[in-house]
Amino acid sequence: MGKIDKQTSGRRLTELLDANFMARLDSLDILSRKILTGKLHGERRSKRRGQSVEFADHRAYVAGDDLRFVDWNIYGRLEQLFLKLFLEEQDLTVHLVVDTSSSMSFGEPSKEIFIKKLAAALAYVSLVNNNRVNISCFSDGVTGQVSNMRGRNYLAAMAELLLKSEPEGQSNFEKACRQIVTSRIGTGVMVVLSDFLFKEGFDAGLRRLLGGNYDLYVIQALSPEELEPKISGDLKLVDVEDFDTAEITISAALLKFYKRNLSAYCNELKDFCSRRGAAYVLANSSDSVESLVLNYLRRIRLLR
Amino acid sequence: MEWLTPLIAVYAAAIVLPLFVLLYFLKLRRREQIISSTLLWKRAVQDLQVNAPFQRIRRNILFFLQLLMFLAMLVAIAQPVLSLIGGPSRRYVILIDRSASMNATDTGTNRLDEAKKEAKTFVESMRDSSFFSVGESGDQAMVIAFDNRPKVMCSFTSNKRQLIAAIDMITATDGRSFLAEAVTVAKAFAQSVTTEANNRSAEEPGKLLLFSDGCIEDIDDIAVGKEELSFYSIGKSGENVAVTAMKARRSYETPEKVEIFATLSNFSKQEISTDVQLSLNGNVQAVKAVRIPPREAADANNKGRAGNVAIDFSLSYGERGVIEVRHLYKDKLATDDASWSVIFPPQKLSVLLVTGGNAILESALRACPIANLKVSNPGEYESAAKALAGAQQAYDVIIIDNYIPQNLGRGRYIIFGRPPGGIDVTAAEELKDQVIIDWRARHPVLNYVNLENLFAAQCIKMNLPRDSEVLAEFNEGAAMAMVRRNASIYLLVPFDILQTNWPFDSGLVLFCYNAVEFLAEEGATGRISELQTGQALIVDGFTPETEAKISGPSLDEKEVKAGSSGSIIFDSVDRVGIYSLNASGQVPRYFAVNLLDNRESDIEAVGEISLSGEVVKAQQGDVRRANFPAWPFLTGIVLCIAILEWLIYNMKVRI
Repeated sequence: MGKIDKQTSGRRLTELLDANFMARLDSLDILSRKILTGKLHGERRSKRRGQSVEFADHRAYVAGDDLRFVDWNIYGRLEQLFLKLFLEEQDLTVHLVVDTSSSMSFGEPSKEIFIKKLAAALAYVSLVNNNRVNISCFSDGVTGQVSNMRGRNYLAAMAELLLKSEPEGQSNFEKACRQIVTSRIGTGVMVVLSDFLFKEGFDAGLRRLLGGNYDLYVIQALSPEELEPKISGDLKLVDVEDFDTAEITISAALLKFYKRNLSAYCNELKDFCSRRGAAYVLANSSDSVESLVLNYLRRIRLLR
Repeated sequence: MEWLTPLIAVYAAAIVLPLFVLLYFLKLRRREQIISSTLLWKRAVQDLQVNAPFQRIRRNILFFLQLLMFLAMLVAIAQPVLSLIGGPSRRYVILIDRSASMNATDTGTNRLDEAKKEAKTFVESMRDSSFFSVGESGDQAMVIAFDNRPKVMCSFTSNKRQLIAAIDMITATDGRSFLAEAVTVAKAFAQSVTTEANNRSAEEPGKLLLFSDGCIEDIDDIAVGKEELSFYSIGKSGENVAVTAMKARRSYETPEKVEIFATLSNFSKQEISTDVQLSLNGNVQAVKAVRIPPREAADANNKGRAGNVAIDFSLSYGERGVIEVRHLYKDKLATDDASWSVIFPPQKLSVLLVTGGNAILESALRACPIANLKVSNPGEYESAAKALAGAQQAYDVIIIDNYIPQNLGRGRYIIFGRPPGGIDVTAAEELKDQVIIDWRARHPVLNYVNLENLFAAQCIKMNLPRDSEVLAEFNEGAAMAMVRRNASIYLLVPFDILQTNWPFDSGLVLFCYNAVEFLAEEGATGRISELQTGQALIVDGFTPETEAKISGPSLDEKEVKAGSSGSIIFDSVDRVGIYSLNASGQVPRYFAVNLLDNRESDIEAVGEISLSGEVVKAQQGDVRRANFPAWPFLTGIVLCIAILEWLIYNMKVRI
């Protein structure tokens, strides 16, 4: 939302996306599983009737209708006036919700870098296809937001926002979702990028987002250390966000229980999403963003 | 099951166990690690249900293994002993032979070490007083080491440590074995109630445990019931060659020539060829090869005599010197491999006979090899003795016949008839018609003298002091006695030989010869006679309170002091070899101490001993522990549990 120095920020975009990757992203576009209402005239079918070449329906003529849309062929056959209705093509709004709480700094490679690259890739695809892009960073509520970016001109602004958002603070997902939903940014494709390790739970926040009629994609990024812990001994684990502690003695049994819990937690999130028509993706921060974007996201038809 | 130190274990348990359980409840000092979220870990920990302490213990096999390990350790600290002996507690007398034959090395180290080892094993297997059963006391034992004399190392006690220390303190000697006195001492101790005996009956007989190789001199004098004594035979092989007799003396005809006679005995069952070497003052003078026949075959009553061979050497030497005869055969006992003798320069004896006229005595003395025999009457003697005023007499030996001298200078006297005054001997009464009932045939004075037929028509009954040495006895009084007073030696013969039938006996000449030789040798400065191990070393002729030092094979410059009678008495010559006595201002005197004992050299182990006709068989096998301490097994269990715990721990933490 702040002022953007385009000279420096152009360079900084390459910190997130290299040139080759951007070249490959140029051929992609965001898909929406829903037909959504846009704001401006665009390239996407919308629910709204309007001017396009794609026929939608007929309706009876009423006084005052534009005679240019009267279907004269029908009038010839039935001697009644019908108007031809066409689907209006509007632009697509892509909302990217990026978690920047302290926990994202964890991992080698860190989850922060991973989801920022992923968000940058998605934003890049959206911007080059003239979609409207909103990016919201959150930890304890929304900490940074850029709205209504459209076209390549906004690549720098997008990179600027992502790069300046350092992971800090405790996460409050529900509060962030409430703020996003109430900011009246309109419907569209929403991609939430986070580790979803929220002490208060993820369901309240996701419910708010689902209520906003978005085509919701949930990408859960976890570090290898979280997926396959490589720790041993008698430890006092300290939560990086709320400094909560857990005293454990690593044993094979404890690790088994941990993995079982992790798997259960991810499945719970996945079930929650699939039951409500949202798409769920679990990503390992050690995987390459390129392969995730170019292969997996295309397979689940977020991109084409 | 008995416990040696139960209280220590109880105290240790009281401290260790609560601490150990507490440690399990205490939290570890953990390493801090920052993570993205404790959400899943907490759930995992909850799943393990580690927060409930009792559940934690209930499910923790390691805790129980450690607890088991501690319990085993604590029980081990209490030193439980598995007792395999039943019945009431007993008293034991441990008799350990430490004589020369126990130096034999046929058992690996030597027999004494083996005997000590077995005795210690027995002590360890004695029952201790039980801590939990009040009033019951454990076995008790006393330790006696014996050679020529018994030595009480430890009186009755149940303290095993004290008993083992006493056994450890026993050192080997080269003495002979005399057990009877040891048994007497043991019985005397067994009948006295010691402070530690508590309410133990004094009449309770102590069991004698004899650890010996069976080479015991006075085995026939011991009256012990078969059940009272257990015999533990020590030793295996009987192979030994010994010098069992040796004598070095100057020739009568040519005093410069020294003749050495020795007997070598072979106690093994095969003939042995070896070299015998003669050394003078440490320098080898001659070596002779000898072939010693094997010992005779044993029969039911007899072990079989050893094979003997006599050997003689001669050499020409006019000075004082130490002669050693040594055989070079490598056998199991080194003590009897050599024998020593000290020779002195040829000496011409000077003897004074003071008599009113005794042709028989005079002729008997003239038959002896005396260089200078002077005969004088009492008047001449008294005037000469008065002039001497108590100083050393000029003669080697003075013989006073039937006359009470008024003045006696320092010297060696043979006094026939009434004893003189001033030597603590008084004449009590006159006795008539006395016959000899006993005499010490082995004493040098009576060597080869047969007194069996001696009859005295008249004699004097003497009241002798306690330290006198009686050599022969009439039926009512002493017939011959030796008294040492005022640095002088008096051989008292309380009768006139003319009142006896002695003049008709060749024994008179032998007596005169022996007595003169013995007294001359006893008094001569620097002279000694050879000793057997265990005999007391007595040297006369010192001024009272003279200080001297004795050195020998087992002692280094021991200080001794002459008594009021001018004698130095030293009773610890218990190793063979040459001893020297150095008194200030005098030439050193040498003493040869030899074993020269057939019985002690016969080291063949015996399977049984005969005590007053009762045969006691040796105990079969080594002494085995009857009480087993359980702590080594418990320590083993602790080790096994520790290994098991380590395995389980590793299996649990393996990722």
